[in-house]
Amino acid sequence: MNAFYDGHVVIIQATFVGILLALSIQVPLRLGVFSFAGAGFYGIGAYVGGNVVIRADLQAVPAIACGAVAAAAVGLVLGLVLQRLNGLYLAMATVAFDLMIGVVAVNGGEWTGGPTGLYGILTDLTLPIILVVVGVFLVAAELSERGRAHRRIEAVREDPELAASMGIRVGAYRVVGFVVSGLAGGAAGAMNVMTRTTIGPADVGFGLVILALTMIIVGGALSWKGAVAGAILFTWLPQVLTFVGEWQELVYGCVVLLAGIFLPRGLYGLWVDTRRRLAARRRPPALSEQAHQDVPQEMTS
Amino acid sequence: MGGGHAAAHGTTRGHTVQEVFGAVSLGSLYLIFALGMSVVWGSVGILNFAHGAIFMFSAFLCSQLLQAFAAPFLLVALVGIIFGAVMSVLVQVLVFQQIVARSTSERSADIRILIGGIGAGIIPLAIAQHVTKNQPFGLQESSFRTTIWEVFGLRMSNVQVATIVVAVVVATASGLWLARSRGGLALRAIGVDPEVASMMGVDRSRLAIGTMAFAGGLAGLAGVLLTFQLGALTPHSGDALLVKAFACVILGGVGSTLGVVVGCFTLAAAETVVLTQTSGQWVEAVAFGLIFAILVIRPVGLFGRQEVRRV
Repeated sequence: MNAFYDGHVVIIQATFVGILLALSIQVPLRLGVFSFAGAGFYGIGAYVGGNVVIRADLQAVPAIACGAVAAAAVGLVLGLVLQRLNGLYLAMATVAFDLMIGVVAVNGGEWTGGPTGLYGILTDLTLPIILVVVGVFLVAAELSERGRAHRRIEAVREDPELAASMGIRVGAYRVVGFVVSGLAGGAAGAMNVMTRTTIGPADVGFGLVILALTMIIVGGALSWKGAVAGAILFTWLPQVLTFVGEWQELVYGCVVLLAGIFLPRGLYGLWVDTRRRLAARRRPPALSEQAHQDVPQEMTS
Repeated sequence: MGGGHAAAHGTTRGHTVQEVFGAVSLGSLYLIFALGMSVVWGSVGILNFAHGAIFMFSAFLCSQLLQAFAAPFLLVALVGIIFGAVMSVLVQVLVFQQIVARSTSERSADIRILIGGIGAGIIPLAIAQHVTKNQPFGLQESSFRTTIWEVFGLRMSNVQVATIVVAVVVATASGLWLARSRGGLALRAIGVDPEVASMMGVDRSRLAIGTMAFAGGLAGLAGVLLTFQLGALTPHSGDALLVKAFACVILGGVGSTLGVVVGCFTLAAAETVVLTQTSGQWVEAVAFGLIFAILVIRPVGLFGRQEVRRV
C-alpha cells in the first residue's frame, strides 16, 4: 500500500483537487444556477495562492485560505452582478468570465508571470491537509443534502417562483451558491498550484471547464457523490486506459455526449434508479414499514 | 485575427482608412459565422456550442482534401460549405433531437443541449489536434493565391473583398427571406411560440434541420475564408470565435438580423481600436468584456424583443 502511495502520490493529490473543482461547478448547478465560473475561481485561487507563497512566504494552509477567500470575494461580486441572468445567458456570461481570467493570466505581468506562468511554488502541503480541506467541503455538501436544507435547495432549483412564494429567499441562495463555488474553486486552484509547484495560462483555460463538466455530467450533477465518482473516474481513467493515450480528449467528448443524451443525472442517478427498481421488485406491493421509511430517501436522487 | 495588422504606409489618414477597412472585413467574417447561429438560436431556440468546432473542422477537412489535389477557390469554398452543413445537420439529428425527445421541460433541455453541444464539439477538435499534432493548418495547396490590390493607397486582399461581398449578400438575403417569405414567417413564429406555431402546421423539426444546415454551411464558408485570409488556423481557432459570435448575437439581440449585423461590426470596430491603441493581447478580452457589459446592462440586446424566451 505504501509503495502504491509513493508511486501514485501526484495522481492521488490530483484526485482530491479534482473533487473540489467538480464541487465548485456542482454547487451552483444544484441550485439551478447554470454557472461555469468554477473554472475561473480555480484560476484565481491558483494565482493568488502562488503569489502569496512566492511573495509573502506563506505556508500551505494560509495560502489555501487566501486563494479560497479571494475567489469567494470575486464570486460574491459575480453573483450579485449576474443575478438577473438565467440559463444559457448565465452559462455564457460565466464562460466569458473564465476566458477573461485566462486573458488576465497572460497579460498580468510579473503577478502572473505572463505566458510562461509562475514557478517554484514550494510549501509544506501534505496529503492530510488536502484531505482535511476536501473533507470539510464534502461534509458541508452532505449536510446540505439532508433535511430542510435539501428540500429548500431542491425547491430553489426546480421551481424558483414556488420557492419564493414559500418564503425562501431565492436570490440569496443563488448568491451563496456563487460564494461557495468560489471557496471550493479557489481552494482547489491553490492546492493544485502547490502540488504541481507551477501554474500557467494553459492550466486555467477552457479545457478546465470541459474537464469539470465531464466529471459532473458523468458522475451526477445533483449529489456530491456524483462529483466524487466523476472526479475519481476521470483522474484515473487515463492511467488505467493507457492505450487511449493521445485520444483521451476524443474519449471525453464521446462520454460527455453520450451521458448528456442518455444519462442526464449521471452514474449516480443511474445507480439510485437501479437500486430503487430492484427494491421495488423485491418488495411485494403491500406497503411495509420499510417502504414508508424509504420514500424520503428515494426523493433524494 | 486583427484587422489592423496590414499597416499602411503614408499618411495618418490613409492609416485610419486602412484600419476601417480591416475592421469591416473582420466584421464581415464574424457576420458570416454568427448569422446562422443567431437564426438557429432565435427561432428553434438552440444555442449550438459545436458551431466553432464545425467552423474549424470544415477548414481542416478542406486542408486534408487539398493534400490530394490542388482545387480552385470556389471548389474549396463549396466543399467547406457542404462539410459544415453536413456536420451541423448530424449534430442536430444525432444529438439535439435526441436530447429534446428525452427532456421533460424546456429548461432542462436548454442545459442538456448546451452540454451535448460541448461534447459534440470536443470530438472534431480532438481529431484535428491528433492529426495536426496541434500545429496550425492551412490551405496553401489550393491553386488559389491571395493577391493584394491597391486602390487609392488602400491595400485590400481578394479574400477580404470576397468576405465582405459574401457577408453583405448572405445577410441581405437571409434578412429579406425571414421578413418576407412564408418559410421565414414560420421560423419567426417558432421563435415566438413553438407550440402555437406547430398547431398552425409549422414543421418544427424540418425547419430546425434546415436552419442548422444553413448555419453549418456558413460556418464552413467562414472557416475557409478565414484560413485563406490568415494563411492558417489552429484546432482551437473555433473556441475563441464561438465566444465572439455569442457576443455579437447578444449585443444585437437574439433573432434580429439587423441586430447581429450591428453586433458583428461593433465588435470588430472595438477590437480594432483596442488592437491599435494598446499593446499586449487585451484584444481577446474585448468580446468577453462586451458579453458581460451587455448581459448586465441590457440582456435583450440593442434590437431584441422582450418576448424571446430567456430562461
